[in-house]
Amino acid sequence: MKHLDCRNYAPVDVVKGICHLTKDAVLGDEEQCDKFEKVPKCKFCENYMPGGKEHLGSCGAEPSKPMTYPDLVGVTCGQFSWKKG
Amino acid sequence: MSKKLSQVLEESGLSLGLQACGSAPEKITERESAGRPFPRAARLRDLYYNCYSSASNEFPYWYTRKYAEHPGEIPVVRRAMALREAFSHLTPVIYPGELIVMGKANYYRGSFPMPWLSEGYYMAKEDELYKAALERGSASADEVSKFGSGGGNVTKNFGNVISIAGKFGIRQEEVPALLKVAREWVGKSVDDLGHKYEQMVPGYDIKEEIMKSVVCMFDSGYTLPQGREVINYYYPLQYGFQGLMDMAAGKKAEVAGNAGGDGVSGMNRLYNYEAVILVLEGIKAWILNYAREARRLEKMEADPVQKKEYKEIAECLEWIAVNPPRTFREAIQICWTMHVAVVNEDAISGMSPGRLGQVLFPYFEQDIEAGRTTEDEVIELLECQRVKFTCLDCFASMGVVGGVLSGNTFNNLSLGGLTKDGEPACNRLEELILEAGANCVTTQPTLSLLYDDKLPESFLLKAAQCVKTGTGYPAFINNRNAIEFLLKHYGDEGMTLEEARAIAIGGCLETSPCSWLPLDLNGKRYWVPGGSGQPTSVGVHFISLPKVLELTLFDGVDQRTKTRVFPAHGRKLETYEELFAQVKEYFAKAVEVLALTNNIQHDIWRKNNMAVFNSMLKPDCLDKGHLINEMGYRYNATHNVESCGTINLVNSLAALKKIVYDEKTASLSEIREALLANFGFKTAAEVGSYSMEDQEKKEGGDEFDRIHFQCLTAPKYGNDEPFADAILKEWEDWFCAMCYGYESLNAKPYYACQISVSTHAPMGAATIATPDGRLAGTTFADASMSAYPGTDRNGTYALFASATCWDHSKSQNSQLNLKIHPSAIKGMSGTKKLLELSRAYMRKGGFHIQYNVVDSRVLKEAQKVPEKYRDLLVRVAGFTQYWVEIGKPIQDEVIARTEYEGV
Repeated sequence: MKHLDCRNYAPVDVVKGICHLTKDAVLGDEEQCDKFEKVPKCKFCENYMPGGKEHLGSCGAEPSKPMTYPDLVGVTCGQFSWKKG
Repeated sequence: MSKKLSQVLEESGLSLGLQACGSAPEKITERESAGRPFPRAARLRDLYYNCYSSASNEFPYWYTRKYAEHPGEIPVVRRAMALREAFSHLTPVIYPGELIVMGKANYYRGSFPMPWLSEGYYMAKEDELYKAALERGSASADEVSKFGSGGGNVTKNFGNVISIAGKFGIRQEEVPALLKVAREWVGKSVDDLGHKYEQMVPGYDIKEEIMKSVVCMFDSGYTLPQGREVINYYYPLQYGFQGLMDMAAGKKAEVAGNAGGDGVSGMNRLYNYEAVILVLEGIKAWILNYAREARRLEKMEADPVQKKEYKEIAECLEWIAVNPPRTFREAIQICWTMHVAVVNEDAISGMSPGRLGQVLFPYFEQDIEAGRTTEDEVIELLECQRVKFTCLDCFASMGVVGGVLSGNTFNNLSLGGLTKDGEPACNRLEELILEAGANCVTTQPTLSLLYDDKLPESFLLKAAQCVKTGTGYPAFINNRNAIEFLLKHYGDEGMTLEEARAIAIGGCLETSPCSWLPLDLNGKRYWVPGGSGQPTSVGVHFISLPKVLELTLFDGVDQRTKTRVFPAHGRKLETYEELFAQVKEYFAKAVEVLALTNNIQHDIWRKNNMAVFNSMLKPDCLDKGHLINEMGYRYNATHNVESCGTINLVNSLAALKKIVYDEKTASLSEIREALLANFGFKTAAEVGSYSMEDQEKKEGGDEFDRIHFQCLTAPKYGNDEPFADAILKEWEDWFCAMCYGYESLNAKPYYACQISVSTHAPMGAATIATPDGRLAGTTFADASMSAYPGTDRNGTYALFASATCWDHSKSQNSQLNLKIHPSAIKGMSGTKKLLELSRAYMRKGGFHIQYNVVDSRVLKEAQKVPEKYRDLLVRVAGFTQYWVEIGKPIQDEVIARTEYEGV
């Protein structure tokens, strides 16, 4: 997992963010630290259905199964449900 | 080695005269410095300096997903549902140290595309983007760190970041979804639908050629369809979001099934109120999402000070999500929230906060009186607000964002002016806004001083002091001129003198209609000003006047592309009068076809993409039940015709009049030949500089020296000489009147708008040499009243006399930029000189003047080593921008501007 998958990561831009725990600037693509806490994203959601193409999938929570993508943040999504296991 | 123009001129006993009224001191002179920002604001500003312009797919994703779910819904309700979904799903991000929170997207300097407006400019590169998205993935710290300085523009791919639209970075893992969302809008966007219907306009082929040859810079209806206007913060301040939702619900019950005497759009009121409620629900959810995030951070925060700040943020947001604000802190936060909501609803540049210091004054006054806050706390908040405004980015095509806006978003805050009763409107809070602007120097919000002789001297001096620090703001705006323009132009829509006094500047320099509304706070009533007009700088965008002259001289054929733009006029141009008449005829043809096609684009926009939230904020939409698309605004005659390169046209006509028609020292054919040969010089693109002084002679290019010398020494605007000034006056009188002959989609007349923004660079690049001696590809004179660099030789007062040879109140604006060496206005006596200079121009009837207080050598140095000048600001046109974030042509132009060594 990377920093940008962490709940404590406040993205400043497409490269870096600030860690809410340390207040330090961190690169989003760097590997997680031991305080890592997963942020809700479609790829961690029970309803996420991977698609045939990279970075694309669909949302199984809706009957119409709309397109979505693994790195969409789900903090505000009412249908987000952590993937089991 | 090729000779530079400056050397050629020197050998002829001429000079470009880039310094006037003396010489610059031998040593480089720094600007006078003001105080420092509060440490918190400085830290937040540093974060901005070190961050990239970043695009996110969240908003477009949720908007499109919801829009697709309701194909049969009433258009305004369908759009409102999509907006609600998008707002309520934005990920809230709060940064340590922030006091004012919320942003456009989930990045510090975030933005996002709106494919429902236009998707073509990045979908054209779909394959390239998709491929890049899949190929990236080898980020390394080394690779990333080299982008640590030099501005936040992402102009090329690196690491896991893809550059999109030439400026924005987007994470590669978002690109496939972004493209899939955009594909949903192909054939449905305002751009695509507008294009389908605008082709039905007779003469559309001319429009196509006008755009290709850069006679006109860009279309209006799908690029930045709103903006250059003044926001109105009043209704949520007075009623709160819940109060407005209740009001709209009550209105819904009143109008349901009731045409109200209007058989065409009366029934629409029901859907409009429903749309207002839906969007307000989205805004409320968005605010509460941030409140929840603040609570989460409060809970996990170890530092007691930061913990308390998160708590206060949460309390503030929880309150304003529902209620009207009670304190200055709550008021400044809700105003910011409204501002971001408006610029997220549509692609917008120039959404100006207007007279924010007068809007917030009630809260300031009562908090100070009650001891709830201190002036220091207020300044700190104002500085934080400056940083937030500076973080606003506008996502649009490279041509629009780079070529026109220079990356700026034009959030113009107006100061001073008069109250509705004609008394000075400035107040203590506005003084603190000036202080915050001088201490925490940032590009946004830029400041405009509504200069009126009634304003107190101490206030005006404070403004002049701020200018001297090199911020470029405030610009001086002639309040009386603006009022005259508003009364003349909006009289038919009911504008009164009282209402005209509410004027504020929208965008960089657009005189905008505003209104007074009664704000009640703890039993005291205040009349606060706010915007009440539709967007301005919409309609016919920038027409290049020197290019129109080129087409006139060459019978309608563009000499850069060798394509026909206008039908051949067939005239021999045997008299000066015939020449000028043909220039006007071609210009009018361009306006005609551009007005018709842009009316269609805006109509498509208002049918499918109408503003709901911005409309709701403006009088009298909530009362009438009609939004912008049904002319619910109080003032709707806001479409304009914009020009660029006025002074190059005037100087060129002056040269032709003198050389060809009066003294007959060269024929028109000889002039044409010299222009095509670029007077024996290389082109600007070949030289790699867009400034006249750097241009280089071709080997053996002496054939045209005589004619070039004559062109360069012909009378020039800016010297109080009637020869050139009479041409300017004739042009202005005709131009300002002719606009009224065209009708906007609101069935209102157009008016003249005379600002160049940054278009004088790309338009200059697309234009061959001009008869004033300007060489091919070099930038035009900036603004509309600035002299061409090096040609104003008789001092500032002579320049003012030339600029005011016509009545500025006939136009929405005019623009004069002056570059002054810091040593010319040093100390308190210098501040007074600067104020007197500005006052003199205002009293002569000039509409606008602004200053670059800088030693040009600093700019040259900054061009060489930009990484040392991340925070260097310059005034470009109606805006201030970081030096490192503007393109080289404009940098060259700012360096070349005449530098006044004495005033």
